[in-house]
Amino acid sequence: MTDRALIHVVDDDDSLRAALLDLLDVAGYDARGYASTGEFLLHPPPDRPGCVLLDVRMPGPSGLDLQAALQRYAVTLPVVFLTGHADVPTSVRAMKAGAVDFLEKPVARDTLLDALQRALARDAAQRLDRDAAERRSARLSTLTPREREVFDRVVAGKLNKQIADELGIGLRTVKAFRAQLMSKLGVATAAELGRLAGEPQDGSS
Amino acid sequence: MAPPSASPGLSGKPSMPHFKPVLYLAVLWFLLAQSALATETRNVLVLYSNNRLVPGNVAVDRGLRAAIKSSGDRPVQLFSEFLDRPEFSGPAYEATVMAYLREKYAARPPDAIVSVSDEALDFLLRNRPNLFAHVPVIHTVASKATLRSYPAMGADVVGVPLEYDFSGTIQQALRWHPAARRLVIVTGTAERDRGREAWLRREVPSIAGGVTVEYLAGLPTSAVLERLSRLGPDSVVFTPGYFRDGDGGLFNPRDAAALMAAASGAPVYGPFDPFIGTGVVGGRMPSFEEMGAQAGRIVNDIFAGATPASIQLPDVTPTKLQVDWRQVKRWGIDERDIPADTIVHYKEPTFWDKYRNIAVVTLVVILLQAALIAKLLLEQRRRRAAELAVQRQRTELAHASRLAVAGELTASIAHEINQPLGAVQTSADAADLILQSGADRRDDLLRIVTRIRRDNLRASDVIRRLRALLARHESERKPFDVTAALSDVATILAPEARQRHVRVEFEPATTSALIAGDETQIQQVLINLLLNAMDSVADMPEERRSVVVAVSRNEREIGITVRDRGHGIAPESLPKLFDSFFSTKARGMGLGLSIARTIVEAHEGRIWAENGAGEGAVFHVELPALDEAAIPERSHA
Repeated sequence: MTDRALIHVVDDDDSLRAALLDLLDVAGYDARGYASTGEFLLHPPPDRPGCVLLDVRMPGPSGLDLQAALQRYAVTLPVVFLTGHADVPTSVRAMKAGAVDFLEKPVARDTLLDALQRALARDAAQRLDRDAAERRSARLSTLTPREREVFDRVVAGKLNKQIADELGIGLRTVKAFRAQLMSKLGVATAAELGRLAGEPQDGSS
Repeated sequence: MAPPSASPGLSGKPSMPHFKPVLYLAVLWFLLAQSALATETRNVLVLYSNNRLVPGNVAVDRGLRAAIKSSGDRPVQLFSEFLDRPEFSGPAYEATVMAYLREKYAARPPDAIVSVSDEALDFLLRNRPNLFAHVPVIHTVASKATLRSYPAMGADVVGVPLEYDFSGTIQQALRWHPAARRLVIVTGTAERDRGREAWLRREVPSIAGGVTVEYLAGLPTSAVLERLSRLGPDSVVFTPGYFRDGDGGLFNPRDAAALMAAASGAPVYGPFDPFIGTGVVGGRMPSFEEMGAQAGRIVNDIFAGATPASIQLPDVTPTKLQVDWRQVKRWGIDERDIPADTIVHYKEPTFWDKYRNIAVVTLVVILLQAALIAKLLLEQRRRRAAELAVQRQRTELAHASRLAVAGELTASIAHEINQPLGAVQTSADAADLILQSGADRRDDLLRIVTRIRRDNLRASDVIRRLRALLARHESERKPFDVTAALSDVATILAPEARQRHVRVEFEPATTSALIAGDETQIQQVLINLLLNAMDSVADMPEERRSVVVAVSRNEREIGITVRDRGHGIAPESLPKLFDSFFSTKARGMGLGLSIARTIVEAHEGRIWAENGAGEGAVFHVELPALDEAAIPERSHA
């Protein structure tokens, strides 16, 4: 059941929230409701595929405030906004901040489910990317400090000679470290090394 | 100041004193002369033939007194004596009268004597040598016959002879009664009566035309009256009256004529003006009053120094037709036959103749009053219309302002309605999916349907409240609770407050806060004040974005205060705050508070603003509280 998506519904309107939870349940999602931004923040989301269906206007911190807070805490759950009154500046701000969609109440079922689908797809993609990066950084962590120094300079596009000079070691030693770390990281070419380095180096938290 | 001047302009002055004594002397002389004249009182003895109450005598006296010029500086005194003929006569009586007059007037000798009627003139002329011998005599009401019997009266006996117009009177009577076949002439037995009878018998046949003339001469009065009473409209009666009747009864002619006129079945005419008013139709008459006046004028001339012989006089006293209008009517005389110069007596003036001025004034006053009343009524109507127009305008304006508020609130209202609509939609979607899945989730469906119903109610409730606020309605006065009205306002404004991140706190009154008025309009005032308050805290830090609305009540008033924690009101703005088109907001119309004041004042309340103790502004509204005992109990929502 853990692969079943969990959708967080943040809306101060009890009735709408209940209706949304019912709809999402029937549509095959797990859903959890929160009456306010604060309530959501007090219950950190489990590490499950999902997204946030967020009302813009609520008492206390608004939906936009929550979106910003999520980013600050590096919570990558995609956000779909659902608002009673969509004004252009608010929607622009939300979309710029990475919202998947900005829906207006009352929302058609298909529109809503479609937006949630896209949000979940983005979440899934993000999760895949994050898993790959984690795997890579796990491999990188097997390198010795010296191997890491050489790795950094290789992916920075430096020649072996330059690396030898910088590290004050012999050219042959550089070549030996290269072969050793390529073997450890399971790559065959320098190009593959470069791709590995393209991932965030402090990807894991 | 001015130097002594030899200017020729001033040289005339010293000559003035020379004139003064001359002037004084002239004035003194004039005054002395005047006072010398003033002492010269003239006495006039007026001697009447018969007694003092004979109407002719009274009329003569009136004319005399009116004509004689008597003044403070030339006084003339009139003394009247009466011979009382024919009741008293004979030589002994005359001797007594003579002695009486001589002695009585010894101290006040007459300067002129006026004789009235024949007997008095006769008496004077016969006794003159022994009675005021050289005093001029002015005769009046003396017949030409008597005058003719004294060919040498003397130059100092003067007067206008009287000729009664018997024939003129008879002719006029016959003209007015063309149908008359008989002329009845009544005379008496006194010496003068017989003289008149003789004259009439001599003269009448020539003027009577084809009319039969009948004489009732010397009959007892009762017989005369009986005969006259049997007359019909084919007869006309003429009488000079009589002094004595066939029984020897003494009359004055006027009384005799009155008796005849009262009894007669035919119109009675007579030649003497005192007959007018007795029932006699009228006649061609000399006026006794005019005869008296004529004598008076002669007295004036004599006293002014004229010699009696030199005074120019008419031959006879002119006569005039005189009638009693009542008799004219009674005997059916055609008005058109009455000559224009006729003296008409007893013509009952018409209402218009009598009260013309009063009537005109009254009419004008009534018209003015009516106009005034009409104007006042019109004014009242106009004022009422103006009041209605103002009230209508106020209602319109209030409505327009509510629409404007609604426009301002569109976003929050849309949110308020969208919320339940969104929930309904989503619930329906959920139910739809459940039904499509074919799963037996009856309980879920029931729950969802219940929720749909509730949300639907919620949406329609918002609309109902909004419509109540926005409806264009006639201003109505009903009792309502201000706290309840405020709670509705709170509901309407809650989303707006939420959107603006303003905390709005309500402090309801601890007791009921009933007033009589238009609930919607009072709500409008509250909304206005609340929106203003929210505006004023818009750019405040979070902790100061707060507005407190409190309702309180004391003995007589319901108080509403709206307190914000904003910047407060600039002191220079305070006095103008409630003026129309005054606004401190960039986009404000400046109508909200002005309308609020209009509404509050229409509810006999007042509204004012002040700055809070430490921060912000406080708006106060005070409305007269409704005595709860005065209205029937009602349930509060």
